Amino acid sequence: MSGVGVARAPASESPESATAAPALEARGIVREYGPVTAVAGIDISLQRGEFLTVFGPNGAGKSTLLGLLSGALRPTRGDVFVNGTRLDFGGVDWRHDVGVLSHQGFLYAQLTVEENLRFYGRLYGLRDLDRRIPERLADVNLGDRSHSFVGQLSHGMRQRLALARALLHDPDVVLLDEPYTGLDPSAAAVLRGVLTGLKDGRRTVVMVTHNLGEGIALATQLAIQVRGHFAWKGSREDVDVADFERLYHRVVEGRA
Amino acid sequence: MSAYLGQIYAIVWKDLLLELRTRERVVAMGAFAVLSAVLFNYSIDRTAVRPQDIGAGLIWMTIVFGGLLGVGRTFHLESEDGAFRGVLMSPVPKDAIFLGKTLSNFVLLYVVSLLIVAVFMLFFGMEIGTSPAVLGLVLALGTLGFVALGTLFAAVSSGTRMGETLLPILLFPVLLPMIVAGAGATGTLLAGRPVSEVVGDIRMLAAFVLMAVAAGAVLFRFVVED
Repeated sequence: MSGVGVARAPASESPESATAAPALEARGIVREYGPVTAVAGIDISLQRGEFLTVFGPNGAGKSTLLGLLSGALRPTRGDVFVNGTRLDFGGVDWRHDVGVLSHQGFLYAQLTVEENLRFYGRLYGLRDLDRRIPERLADVNLGDRSHSFVGQLSHGMRQRLALARALLHDPDVVLLDEPYTGLDPSAAAVLRGVLTGLKDGRRTVVMVTHNLGEGIALATQLAIQVRGHFAWKGSREDVDVADFERLYHRVVEGRA
Repeated sequence: MSAYLGQIYAIVWKDLLLELRTRERVVAMGAFAVLSAVLFNYSIDRTAVRPQDIGAGLIWMTIVFGGLLGVGRTFHLESEDGAFRGVLMSPVPKDAIFLGKTLSNFVLLYVVSLLIVAVFMLFFGMEIGTSPAVLGLVLALGTLGFVALGTLFAAVSSGTRMGETLLPILLFPVLLPMIVAGAGATGTLLAGRPVSEVVGDIRMLAAFVLMAVAAGAVLFRFVVED
């Protein structure tokens, strides 16, 4: 069996700070692909209940950033901590605390909605799937589609099912990559309701999106990523919503 | 431990359910087996060679080539919608993923290997011998060793542009001891000779299976991790 060893935050930190460890923390993470630097030294520190939305142009490295935060990608340099535990690629325990909605749904088209969730539930060692699966499907308005094959679902339904999959194990940290892409207004409204429900004070969310309105509405923290680093970041409270689009363009064009 | 076994079970259940729905691997392997037996049947000069003298070798070559069709597609459905990435990001040890996929491949190939033996007996007029259970054990050990290494090398080759070409090049050289022992034991058993004559071959096959499964379980994480 693979090791399940975990590494806690460095011992130099006081016990007090260890107990109050951020729910999600990135320290100087860098990801290089040969000569290309996709993520160029990003620091993140989010407490429980915080919701960070990351905006940025195509190719800014936002999806790579989420890949690093989720443990799908190994940083070239730097570390990521979830609830004070450094992501250890030889271990698996910390993966219970993280849920990911990616560009891809991680779903099997030839299995039904219910079978997909049951499969992932078993991988996460969940014992109450008969209760949990209908609840999650009801949350995303798919309660009546549990026996439908995933290959027969619309894009919006698949996206909502992927979200149900990401939240099935009730993770503390939720990472969302462009969740609104390709959704019609009705599906987007359902998704908005679910994401709003994530702001329960317990979960920490990082969402990457091009949708300024949706991103600002949900966030407590905002960042604009350009060429692999956060060119701007701030609190939602400090932002003039009406002026944010102009700020975004100034930052992306390097005028701010 | 029960959680670990539950994760292996989940992967086997999912793989077999997908195969039940798509039937793409079993049908390909089964069709290959039947067609191979038909072609061998017509290509052998029965006045020059007795079919039972070469039957065991042909059976094992058909298992290996047919098995390649199935094992080579182990990660095909996984690549759709990034599903395998979802599995890798779940809290499942990589060796559990390997063991689950190896077991599901084993179930499929073992069924096909029994079909292959039946088809060759039909076309070549061979007898099952006096120890069908031991023959079943030899086939089980051989197919398990094959799918263990096949699953590992399929993971290596699936991420490459030349995957289907690369897989047999990687796999065949390391299968040699298994094929020699498997074909030897099968020929002996089909000829109706005593089980005591194949004990050495069975030990060789068991050692090969242990080596293949252990190597796969240890090395799989280095193949699939970023």
